[in-house]
Amino acid sequence: MSKVAIIGDSTSVVGFRPLGFAVFAVRRPQDARELWSEVSGGEYGVVFVTEPVYEALGDLIAQSADSPVPAVTVIPGAGNPGGVGEAKLTRAIERALGTTVLTREEGQ
Amino acid sequence: MAIMRVNPNRMELLKLKRRGEVATRGHKLLKDKFDELLKEFVARITENRRLRVEVESRLAGAYGLLAIARAEAGRAELAQALLAGVPRDLVSVTERRVMSVRVPEFELGELGKPGGYSLATTPAVLDEALDALYATVPMMIELAEREKAIELLAAEIERTRRRVNALEYVLIPSITETIKDIQMKLDEADRSNLTRLMKVKEIIAAQEEPGESS
Repeated sequence: MSKVAIIGDSTSVVGFRPLGFAVFAVRRPQDARELWSEVSGGEYGVVFVTEPVYEALGDLIAQSADSPVPAVTVIPGAGNPGGVGEAKLTRAIERALGTTVLTREEGQ
Repeated sequence: MAIMRVNPNRMELLKLKRRGEVATRGHKLLKDKFDELLKEFVARITENRRLRVEVESRLAGAYGLLAIARAEAGRAELAQALLAGVPRDLVSVTERRVMSVRVPEFELGELGKPGGYSLATTPAVLDEALDALYATVPMMIELAEREKAIELLAAEIERTRRRVNALEYVLIPSITETIKDIQMKLDEADRSNLTRLMKVKEIIAAQEEPGESS
């Protein structure tokens, strides 16, 4: 069994604490960099990050992209517009196909 | 295409022909794998988009409720109410193979039941907010699983495409060219040998002719 972690500003993550998530509230997105080695160590199977944190940690998260765990997933934090997760998906598509044109057509 | 630096003899020719066959077979296999991976990938993307939109809208709803709760109870009260709960082992991780790509599968265990805070000091809307989050978590875990699988598939597709292209555009043409080159050199050697033999025969015949007449 693995734990589930969530990293983000306290407004976005605090509601998950009663559900049993490991909550890492950070004041600034950059502060999450120090947490990353702990979170990506294998204790956590799933890590949710808010959009600002994902943007601040992009390079660190990319390192764990090719291993099965942890699965890092972007969620829109409170007060964020969303769309970063979609952009991440689009990047994966681009990596696989070399283009995004085809899948955009399919999505519509 | 660059011709390999090998000795143009029959031994090398045989070796190269064998290598060429293996390369062609490998290329065909990899190409099939690539096509299959792509099929799997595209099928997953559409489903994933739908799920992500749903999760994002549900989360936005829950955050809205939380914001109302915070406005009613005050930040400090709310923070205190939500302090309850310890991190626990929520998911069991197993691995599955999809076209030789190891993808994780998460099975959600029992979530903590929201509660444990004073109902007197917290607004009712907090319960609603936590219930909304509670209902969203299974979808979030599913989303995490699917997105991870897509990421891993994308990486594998990229690797496979490179291999296919390397075989198709570099290795196989280079082997074919080298085989052709060796073949030509061997033929050339053959011809020059033949002409030499004919010449020798002529010379011998010319030597024998005057001997016969005398």
